[in-house]
Amino acid sequence: MASLSAHKKMLHADLTGDTIRAAQGSMVAYTGQVTFKNAGMGGGGGLRAALRQRVAGESINLMECQGQGRVYIAQSALDVTVVGLSNDKLTVESEHILAVTDGLKLDVQFSGLRGMTSGQGLATTSVSGTGQCAITSDGPLIGLAVVPGQPLVVDPDAYVAGTGNLQMNLVSGVTWRSVMGESGGEPFSLRFEGQGTVYIQPAER
Amino acid sequence: MSFEQINSKVVRTEVAPGREVIARRGSMLGYEGQVTFRPISGQGQGIGGMIGSALAGESTSNMVAEGQGKVIYGFRGLHVTVVELGNETLTVEASRLLAYHAHLSVGVEMIAQGGIRQAVAGAMTGQGLFTSKISGVGTVALLSHGGTVELPLNGEQIGVDPQAYVGHTGALNVDLKAAVGFRDLVGRGSGEAFQLQLSGHGRVYVQASEEKF
Repeated sequence: MASLSAHKKMLHADLTGDTIRAAQGSMVAYTGQVTFKNAGMGGGGGLRAALRQRVAGESINLMECQGQGRVYIAQSALDVTVVGLSNDKLTVESEHILAVTDGLKLDVQFSGLRGMTSGQGLATTSVSGTGQCAITSDGPLIGLAVVPGQPLVVDPDAYVAGTGNLQMNLVSGVTWRSVMGESGGEPFSLRFEGQGTVYIQPAER
Repeated sequence: MSFEQINSKVVRTEVAPGREVIARRGSMLGYEGQVTFRPISGQGQGIGGMIGSALAGESTSNMVAEGQGKVIYGFRGLHVTVVELGNETLTVEASRLLAYHAHLSVGVEMIAQGGIRQAVAGAMTGQGLFTSKISGVGTVALLSHGGTVELPLNGEQIGVDPQAYVGHTGALNVDLKAAVGFRDLVGRGSGEAFQLQLSGHGRVYVQASEEKF
C-alpha cells in the first residue's frame, strides 16, 4: 500500500508496486523504478467524471505514478498536508489536490452560486473512499472545527477543503455602502453549518 | 569563516583581507565595517573562465566584497541553502549561486556529455547546457524557490525533474533522459517527459518547486 507523508513543502510518496495519482508535472525527484503516465480524461475517474468536468469547467490534470520506490512531489513551493480518509469524503478545490492514493475516487460536485463569486468555476472536487490525499496550501493549512450550533464563516478565497457533514452557504454582505464603493473588502463569505472540519490557508487566491 | 544563516532567506558572512567573498550583483542587504564592493565579470578565473562563462551564456554578473567586516546577503526573498564543501566539487547553475568565498575555485562545464541528442534535450527542458563547478574547502550559499532538500546517493540512481534540480556534490553521472512518447506529442503526457538521471556517490539538491530563475 502506497503511503504519503508530508515534509514541509515536499511530499514523500512511498510506492510498493502500486499506483498513486499526482498533479501533472509535480514530480521533483524519484528513486527506484517509477513510471509516469497521464491519468487520462477525468483524472482517472472514468468517462462520467470526464463529462461532468467538461460541463463544470473544472480542470484537474493528474498523472499516474506506478512502480517501486519513493517519489518526491512538490508544487510551486506550496505547503503540503496529508489528510487520511477512511470511508470518508473530502471536498477540495481542485487546484489544491497534489496527490491521492489508489483507493480514492475523485468526482465533481456542483457548488452553485459560490463558485461564480470566487471565480473558481461552478464546481469543486470531492475525494471519497479510503486512503490518503495530499493537498497544497499557500502557507500552513489551518483546520477549523465546525460543531452544531456554531457556524463558521470563512473567506471564499482562503477556503481550501472541508470534510464531514457540512452545509455550505454563501452569505453576501453587500449593502448600499459597498455598492457605493465603500466596502470592507469582504463582500462574500462562506458559512458552514453542521459537524466537521474546514481547512483554510493563510492567503487569499 | 563560513555563511551564518540568519533566517531561511538571509545569510551573514565575515570578510577580511585575503578572505574576499564573491556574490551575485545586487544581493548585498547590509554590512558592518569597512567593506567595498567591486563588480567583476565572468567567473573571475582568468581567460578560461571568461570564455567558459561567455559560452555558457551565464551572464549572471558578480561582485566581490573586499575589506574588513561582515556582510549580509539575500536575494528576492528566495530561500538560501548553505552547502559545506570538504574538498569536494559542487555542480550548480550560475543563476542559483548567491555567494561563495573567493578562495574556492570555479569553472564552467557542460552538464551532459551525451552529444547532440542531449544538447537538444537540454535546450528543450530549459536546463542550461553549462553549469558552474565550485571546488575546494569552504561554504557556498545557493538560492532556491521554497528551500532545498538534500538527497544522498550511495550508488543508486535517482531521477530528478530538470526544473527542480538545483545542484549536486560529488562525482555523479548526470544523464538527461527523454521519455517522449506519442502521448506527449498529442498533449496528453504526464508532464515528466524529461528527467535527469543521476547516479554515483554524492548529494543532490532539489527544490520544492518547478520554478527556474
